Amino acid sequence: MSRNRKGYTVKAAALCMACAVTLAAAACGGKENSNNLIIEDEETVREVVMFSPMEKTEADTVNTARSAADKTIIMAEEKLGVSVSYVTYTAEDYQDKTYDEVTLDRARNNMDDIYLLNPDTIQALGEEGRLMDLSGLAGAENLRDVVKTANVVDGKLVAIPQEVVAYGLFINQDMFDRYSLELPQTPEEFLECCRVFKENGIETPVGANRWWLETFVLAQAYADLYNGGNTEAEIAALNSGESKYSDYMRPGFEFLQEMIDQGYIDAKKAYVSEAIEGEGADFLAQKTPIVMAYWGAANTDTAYGNPDFELVVIGFPSSRGQMPVMPMTGFGVGAEARHAEDAMRTLEVMTCDEALKVYAETNKVISPSKNVEVECIEALKPLNDRIQENVYVLGANASMKMEQWGNTCLVVRQLLGGATVDECMAELDRLQEESIRSDR
Amino acid sequence: MNLIKSTIEAILNKEAEFQKLMAQEMAMAEDPEVHLRSYGNSQTMVKVSMIRAGETEGISDNGEVFTQKELDFSAGRQVDGVAVSQSYVNYMGTWAYTMKCPVIKDGEEVAMLYVEYIYDSLDRSLPAGFYNKKAMLYIMDAQTERLVLKPKGMGQRDAGHLNLKDFYRANDIHDEELMAEVNTCLKEGKNIMFNHDIRGKKALNYMWSVNGGSIYLIGYVPIEAIQQEGTTVNQNILIVVIVMLTAFFLCCLLYYFNQRQQSRIRKEQEAEREIYNRQLAQALSAAQAASNSKTTFLSNMSHDIRTPMNAVLGFTTLLERDAQDPDKVREYTKKIMASGQHLLSLINDILDVSKIESGKVVLSVEEFTLNDLVSSVDAIIRPMAKAREQKFFVTVTGVRHEYLLGDETRINQILINLLSNAVKYTPAGGNIWFRIIGRGQRSSQFEHIRIEVEDDGYGMTPEYLERIFDAFTRAENSTTNKVQGTGLGMAITKNIVELMGGTIDVSSEVDKGSIFRVDLEFRIPEGQADRQFWKESGISRMLALGGGQSGESIQALMEDMDVTVDLAQSTGEAMRMLQSSDIGAEGYQLVLLDCDLPDIDAVEAAGRIRELLPEAPILFLKEYEEGEEDRAPGIEKAGMMFKPFFVSALKEKVRKIQNAGKADEDAEKAQEDSLKGMNFLAAEDNEINAEILREILSMENASCEIVENGKLAVERFAACRAGEFDAILMDVQMPVMNGYEATRAIRALEREDAGEIPIIAMTANAFAEDEKEALRAGMDVHLAKPVNVELLKQIIRQYVIKK
Repeated sequence: MSRNRKGYTVKAAALCMACAVTLAAAACGGKENSNNLIIEDEETVREVVMFSPMEKTEADTVNTARSAADKTIIMAEEKLGVSVSYVTYTAEDYQDKTYDEVTLDRARNNMDDIYLLNPDTIQALGEEGRLMDLSGLAGAENLRDVVKTANVVDGKLVAIPQEVVAYGLFINQDMFDRYSLELPQTPEEFLECCRVFKENGIETPVGANRWWLETFVLAQAYADLYNGGNTEAEIAALNSGESKYSDYMRPGFEFLQEMIDQGYIDAKKAYVSEAIEGEGADFLAQKTPIVMAYWGAANTDTAYGNPDFELVVIGFPSSRGQMPVMPMTGFGVGAEARHAEDAMRTLEVMTCDEALKVYAETNKVISPSKNVEVECIEALKPLNDRIQENVYVLGANASMKMEQWGNTCLVVRQLLGGATVDECMAELDRLQEESIRSDR
Repeated sequence: MNLIKSTIEAILNKEAEFQKLMAQEMAMAEDPEVHLRSYGNSQTMVKVSMIRAGETEGISDNGEVFTQKELDFSAGRQVDGVAVSQSYVNYMGTWAYTMKCPVIKDGEEVAMLYVEYIYDSLDRSLPAGFYNKKAMLYIMDAQTERLVLKPKGMGQRDAGHLNLKDFYRANDIHDEELMAEVNTCLKEGKNIMFNHDIRGKKALNYMWSVNGGSIYLIGYVPIEAIQQEGTTVNQNILIVVIVMLTAFFLCCLLYYFNQRQQSRIRKEQEAEREIYNRQLAQALSAAQAASNSKTTFLSNMSHDIRTPMNAVLGFTTLLERDAQDPDKVREYTKKIMASGQHLLSLINDILDVSKIESGKVVLSVEEFTLNDLVSSVDAIIRPMAKAREQKFFVTVTGVRHEYLLGDETRINQILINLLSNAVKYTPAGGNIWFRIIGRGQRSSQFEHIRIEVEDDGYGMTPEYLERIFDAFTRAENSTTNKVQGTGLGMAITKNIVELMGGTIDVSSEVDKGSIFRVDLEFRIPEGQADRQFWKESGISRMLALGGGQSGESIQALMEDMDVTVDLAQSTGEAMRMLQSSDIGAEGYQLVLLDCDLPDIDAVEAAGRIRELLPEAPILFLKEYEEGEEDRAPGIEKAGMMFKPFFVSALKEKVRKIQNAGKADEDAEKAQEDSLKGMNFLAAEDNEINAEILREILSMENASCEIVENGKLAVERFAACRAGEFDAILMDVQMPVMNGYEATRAIRALEREDAGEIPIIAMTANAFAEDEKEALRAGMDVHLAKPVNVELLKQIIRQYVIKK
């Protein structure tokens, strides 16, 4: 018996020694288990490169929108075992190439796999055939019609967004209350409000940047087109050149001209300001009662998420009242992307209902999926009500031959730069002709 | 950082070097434009362009028109003498820089070669991540302070990768003084490293100058990551230390256990060794003792054998000399015979010991009488005692049965041993008592007898008493003492006693004497042949006169024989009894008369009795005296018996008296029993033995033919006439064919007499087993050498005449 016990002791000791040796070897050898020191073979790490813009944000802030997207990307990485690499571009200033320009360059040179595309680049690249048809992805059939309308180019669904972007006016309700102002429905009412603010010493009632003033134009231009019941015919007329975009857009430009003339917006500043960068600080500081921004910016932890005043988001003034403007963004996959297959699968995960639910819940936005509904925050309710009533204007529409979102922006920028309304209209006409010509 | 820096610088240098080579090739090319187009598109050199000297527009490898307009070489940055432009976002939407170098032909600058490189290509040469991918690494164009290469893995998840300002803002760096210092360093192309918290965590921020400060590696490493790396190292060191310590302790533990085990084993071994040593010492001393005793024994034997041998040889010499003198010849042969007998007894003893020691002794139990036993012992011992002037007393008391079952020879051996020892170790004039005492019967089937042999001789020391029963020991060395013997006697005795299920013990005192006591039990035979004798002899009542207490013993013994014994203590009493009316003289058929009568002389008493009983045999019973013959003094039908009284002795005497007239017939019969005229075939390889055999047989007027081995014996027998030989005397150990085989062969012969002819084994193989083997082989009888002539004659007569 004692011999047995001794035997066990010796065995146990031997075992411990073996463990010790193993541990020592492990300690010395780190994580390597094999003799081959190459642990990351190119084949083993499946990379998907995603090109997206980068906001310039303040230190230590967490961007909820980005966090939401990240969550879905992590979901894809975990599900597929891929690694998504981000490539970003942000223009330093107005002199730099814009994100859209760089997007086009990169997409045309097959630099990346997935691109986060703005409405104008969706249409441009879609028409060039540089984007994959995503209609086969699992989430595609759940998409709302508004998304399909905006992102189907030449019969192909070329981009799927994670949120339906709705632009609206961000109102400092406190300031409106201070001057007993009603929230404006029409351009006239809006101008009146601005007048009151101006008279009351508000230097610039409307904070603007070089990107988003077009929303005023689009809201006024297409309020009737999208809500008048004759949309298809009107678009057909525009595509054929029968109608002119300039006719639709002139009131909006004149409205902006009026604003500029009256000093309700600081055109010079806006001309060189990036989105939110230029106007955000004043708005939050309650120097500016009105700015324009997209839905997500109202959410907590984003640009205007936590103001010291009562924030209300409403539609843009139009003949049909407050009008949300919805330009459709989306993720597209390069037709000749290096990792096209993984990119498609990654995007599939990112746009499946599960991911979109996570995204919508994190970001409190309107989901592109019919199956995902998220309660919006109080401030967004006026805007959301209109959308729920199906009263909105599309900021981009692939069925219009002339790209809207990018072109309108550029023309508005010309206005900011000092061009006259007529010159701007002429430019629109030229663009329309060009689009018709290229179509032919 | 220096490694990364060196890598990047090496890449830049190689690019510059290669571009210069390209320029040289281009200079040599017939059509530089065609050569230019041949470069095509590569992952590193994304655009190759050329502007001829003196022109403002040139051409790119993709065929597009190229101007230097968009490129800014104003900063004068150079790599290996090749000018490097400011960084810009190129047509691919990625950060790039262009290097230009002149194309010189025949010492004259003919064109300028522009190659556009993208920073992404550097990315492939940089580590995928360091400090467990927690460190951030950007490449910054020093002049524009733009971050031209950013970590791909962070992207949207972190801010701060637009330009230096953005880096400051995103990382919350607002210290003017620090920023000024950084700016100074950037301008001077120096490295700088500073501590600053990044997103609430302590981090080491660095800006590392590359290519003389034209580009910078910037980024940060969380202190945590550094510490973690250190921690990992520390952990590993700790693990190693712990493992080493554990191993050390385990080793110690193992060593301790091992030592403990070793010491225990050592102790056990020592203990074992001690036991072994002790056993060895004992064995050694035993062996030494044995060796000593055997040496002594051999020495003794040498002496003991030499002595009679000397006598034999000496007397033989004398015999040769005095051959003419019959008296001397007889005397010498007698002495030679005695010496030979002594030698034989020595050899028998030795054989006995070896036999007993190897457990080969088998008792042969037969009926015997105490009378024969005592007589034979007495016959041997008394002369010896007498020779030493010792008195020898024999008494038998309380024995109920005289006829017993046992191995008489062996009992005899015991008694002879004890008594001869007593004689040997008792000085002249001493006394020796031999007593047979009947003990209380424990069972009706067994007679319990104690034999006592007592002397008042030298006695033994207590030390010797302990070893007395060991073989090869002797109280005194025979060479210094007159005592002769093998020293095996007591060992043999004890072994035989024990073999018989008895006990032997001894008590002795130096110079006072010794007493041996042997207790034995003998089975009482069922049939009593003697009873028949008494009946046939017509003796049913006898008168025992005198003898005192021994009379009762006689009474008891004779009772078994259905003979009534009337005891008379005096002659007068005897006479009265004889004359009494109840029984009368006729009632007594036998008278036993003790010579030590209290009143009158025994002969006189016998005379008076004879008057009354004219026919009844009268037997005198007296103590043994040397020289006296067992003949009754002048009275008819009388005989002499020596004490102690035995029924069998009485019977013999009575028979003798009754058969007195038949003596002459016996003599005649003896004559008839001689071997005269017989012819034997003897197989004997030893010439001397053969000679002796021949002589002995010729002495008996018999002839004998001797062959040298079994095979010859078989052949001779096969060839003989029927009845040519009366018997075959067969030695056992012979060359060619031994006796057993020869016997089997003879018995297997197809002759009528092959199965009948007596074959007598005559062999030195004297053990019982040898006898059995001989009988198994088909021999008729076994006779041990040396040949006893009388025995041989008797046997031959028995077998041959029987045939």
